[in-house]
Amino acid sequence: THQCKYVISWSIGITKPTYRNTKCSQCDWIFALYTFLDYDNSENQLFLEEERRMSYLGFRCLEISRWVVCGLIGFLTGLIACFIDIMVEQLTGLKYYVVKENIEKFTAGGGLSISLILWAVLNSAFVMVGAIIVAFFEPIAGGSGIPQIKCYLNGVKIPRVVRLKTLLVKVAGVICSVAGGLVVGKEGPMIHSGAVVAAGVSQGRSTSLKRDFKIFEYFRRDTEKRDFVSAGAAAGVSAAFGAPVGGVLFSLEEAASYWNQMLTWRIFFASMISTFTLNFFLSVYNKNPGELSNPGLINFGSFDRNVRSFVFVLTCECGGPPGGLLGALFNALNYWLTIFRIRYIHRPCLQVMEAMLVAAVTATVSFIMIYFSNACQPLDVVQGEDYPLQLYCDDGEYNSMATTFFNRPEKSVQNLFHNPPGSYHPLTLGVFTITYFFLACWTYGLAVSAGVFIPSLLIGAAWGRLIGIMLPVFPLQIWADPGKYALIGAAAQLGGIVRMTLSLTVILIEATGNVTYGLPLMLVLMTAKIVGDYFEEGLYDIHIKLQSVPFVHSEAPPTSHWLTAREVMSSPVTSFNRVERVGTIVDLLSNTSTNHNGFPVVVSNPAKLCGLILRSQLIVLLKHKVFVELARSKLTRRKLQLKDFRDAYPRFPPIQSIHVSQDERECMMDLTEFMNPTPYTVPQETSLPRVYKLFRALGLRHLVVVDDSNRVVGLVTRKDLARYHLGKHGLEELQLAQT
Amino acid sequence: MQLCKTSAFAVLTVVTLCLSTTVDSDIDNVSDEEDASRYLSGLSPVLLPAVDPLSSSHTLSAVVAQDLEINQTCRNLATIFHDRYIAYADCLVKSARPVGVCLNCFEGYALLSEIYANISNDKDGPGNCRDSLLRSDRLMLIYLLYGNLQNIWRNSACEHCVNTEQQAVKNQTLYFMNERNQSISCFDQYKQENHSDLCVKCKSKYESLNVLYGGMEKNGSLCIDIEDAMNVTRRLWSKNYNCIAPREGMIPVIAVSCFMLFLPIIFYLSSYLHSEQKKLKLIHPKRAKSNNSLMNIQDKFS
Repeated sequence: THQCKYVISWSIGITKPTYRNTKCSQCDWIFALYTFLDYDNSENQLFLEEERRMSYLGFRCLEISRWVVCGLIGFLTGLIACFIDIMVEQLTGLKYYVVKENIEKFTAGGGLSISLILWAVLNSAFVMVGAIIVAFFEPIAGGSGIPQIKCYLNGVKIPRVVRLKTLLVKVAGVICSVAGGLVVGKEGPMIHSGAVVAAGVSQGRSTSLKRDFKIFEYFRRDTEKRDFVSAGAAAGVSAAFGAPVGGVLFSLEEAASYWNQMLTWRIFFASMISTFTLNFFLSVYNKNPGELSNPGLINFGSFDRNVRSFVFVLTCECGGPPGGLLGALFNALNYWLTIFRIRYIHRPCLQVMEAMLVAAVTATVSFIMIYFSNACQPLDVVQGEDYPLQLYCDDGEYNSMATTFFNRPEKSVQNLFHNPPGSYHPLTLGVFTITYFFLACWTYGLAVSAGVFIPSLLIGAAWGRLIGIMLPVFPLQIWADPGKYALIGAAAQLGGIVRMTLSLTVILIEATGNVTYGLPLMLVLMTAKIVGDYFEEGLYDIHIKLQSVPFVHSEAPPTSHWLTAREVMSSPVTSFNRVERVGTIVDLLSNTSTNHNGFPVVVSNPAKLCGLILRSQLIVLLKHKVFVELARSKLTRRKLQLKDFRDAYPRFPPIQSIHVSQDERECMMDLTEFMNPTPYTVPQETSLPRVYKLFRALGLRHLVVVDDSNRVVGLVTRKDLARYHLGKHGLEELQLAQT
Repeated sequence: MQLCKTSAFAVLTVVTLCLSTTVDSDIDNVSDEEDASRYLSGLSPVLLPAVDPLSSSHTLSAVVAQDLEINQTCRNLATIFHDRYIAYADCLVKSARPVGVCLNCFEGYALLSEIYANISNDKDGPGNCRDSLLRSDRLMLIYLLYGNLQNIWRNSACEHCVNTEQQAVKNQTLYFMNERNQSISCFDQYKQENHSDLCVKCKSKYESLNVLYGGMEKNGSLCIDIEDAMNVTRRLWSKNYNCIAPREGMIPVIAVSCFMLFLPIIFYLSSYLHSEQKKLKLIHPKRAKSNNSLMNIQDKFS
């Protein structure tokens, strides 16, 4: 196998990867400090006991409380979206007002360089706040958060990804980066926010705030939490785009790796509540309570149902290839930039500086474009712009380039879709597309919370509209108005960058509120994906790869059937006896070089597999000192229940914090009650795709490999599976590395 | 937003109309003559025309329908509507360019809406003119015609310039027009000479006009007449006489921009040169080399 790649394993305390300088610069770097989530339920005796005790009514209540949790998730996500929207509107409004007044003041006198500096400083100041909280307090809140949620739902435990602090930093960060004029959107982070809300609400407590409401205790398990996080992601999409069905499909297609039918209906409920909450509270904010006209953070406005001609449907398919190409170029550039950032810009202060520089340059570029633009439009008193800037236009006209920058990006997208033909000068659109493309590419991956949806839509809408304006060069009576081509361009560009298919189509259909555009949108997304995939992966997959996450994809790499479990597994395996000495357990758990999380339990003579126990369970057992000797001496001692494990979840203390005295080390621990007595096992000859399927379908974390007399031979974990991938030289194996 | 408001208004109108049709009242003991005279006395300025436009039609159907449907009162009302409609439309067309639809025609509109109100309120009269004139056929021509003119009036935002109750132009509008005429006469005075001279001489007048306009824009007291007058003045000022401010201070702007664009290059270069990279250690994972070496801890211990 081609061994130029390295999987870097987690080493605790380091948040950003650094890489050994290697000649193999083409390598896909993978980074992992990650352990995994237990999506497989441990059916130990405690669990069975609890199930026995639970009445029929109890299960009914559980089902109802799942619905209640989903409703709460939707409601809170909608509220957060509403808060972000209002804050952004207020702050950007203030900024535009100050800058516009300043420019007007200096237009005649010729001190515009001062306005430029003011603008750049204002932008940098906002972005500085946003970058500082991200870089210094919570690096995981950077970016859109979609790759992180995708990994979480795949079963990778990304540290601190669903904590309250992350949510706070995320929300504040998004507000700052959008108000700071960066080429970013606030839609992507909504998905992460929704996921954090879901993970928090479903637990009925906040570990950060040390408050336990004593509700939803049953849901304090990875499996239950995962399902709610899927709902949260869907609610986030739904609030961002006003697309409840799109949200569910996004969760199904893009985010979640595990799914069941009941979940769909509940998640749909969360999505609906989310978009309705946002809609309602925004209408209250806009002083029209009850006029529900803002289902999402972005609103495409209404398109007329008349697609006009069959030719439109056919021509718009041609929007796909350029979308795919531009998307692939975007992803490739961003890939190289991210590698550079990982290698050289990994200190927080450097990251803050970089973000501020990008903000300043964005302001400068915008200013230059406004300054040298001669595109003037007559003022419209009735449907006027919010911040018309005259600059060097004739009196009674405004600089149309300035409106593009003095608007929230969502509004600019809407303008590109709906402004009547003739509103934009082709040159303006061309220059705008190019600069925005590079700025967006440069911005994504900074240490700020920000999404890539809106910039993609804006770039695409600009070149789509440009094409729409150019088409009537061929004097046929078949062309639709340029706004529709802007929609097609936006879809193509977004599809080319993120490569989503079904969910993106539905999101766009719902955002336009028009089923008639379904087929054109679908065709354009399809072609964009086909063309884009030929050159480069989707942006989120690239970032998952660059973070070195051991991601278990939906299928085993092709041509891997010859690999068997014997080659894949780790061996020899560290196992425990059913009744094990405490000292042995403590020593093994404290061994930092191995850092295993799952241990097969065996009965000796002959050493046959009889169960599987997790590190987290052992730690709870050690903490409660469940030793055989103590149980004998103190008969009144309370029996350990499943609740004790749930109370420690999800932040199990490290082994170092558990004190075990010298005497206690000699005690024995009986694991029978606590281990999972029926772990999944495979024989040594099982092929890799078969193992892969088990992991992917059941959400396994550990798979024991046994020989024909049920003796433990090896253990397959997710890291063992994620090592293999299909590269240019056939099947490649990544090596594990550690900083 | 605008659209929403308009549609909301439309809905409201429909609702009101529906309501007013359902309400029936029994007080119609007034005779035709009394009724007509009551109307006519209210319409002082316009004299009754000699020829009735409805009875002057010569088609058979009209002759038949005449006696069946339209009584004299309604016919009189229709005649008045006809005249006033023509007068107002005539005025509108004449004041299309330069726009003067508010200031020139507001009286005509007031008269027209008055007679229309009379027609649409006449639901209790013997002939029920509202029903017979406005809604006895599919086309509802009078309703349509009036609706169109009403739209024109509304779109021109004439209420902002004209006080509809007192039938007079607002003082603010008059003041603005006065100011504007001063600017124009200033332009006329100097336009024969060098244009740059005009720009200097008329600057103060023009700018005060601009400020005035800006103030009116803010408190929403613009109508189409004022907007158009201002647009024409601005176009004269910027396009014809070319009095727009020249681009000044371009060099500092370029210098600052270059500096800003240069900063990232320095940043990336310096971080490339000065950044240290941490070494990284490869882990050799425990793998089964061959079947012989397969041994787990249990085996070792036992």
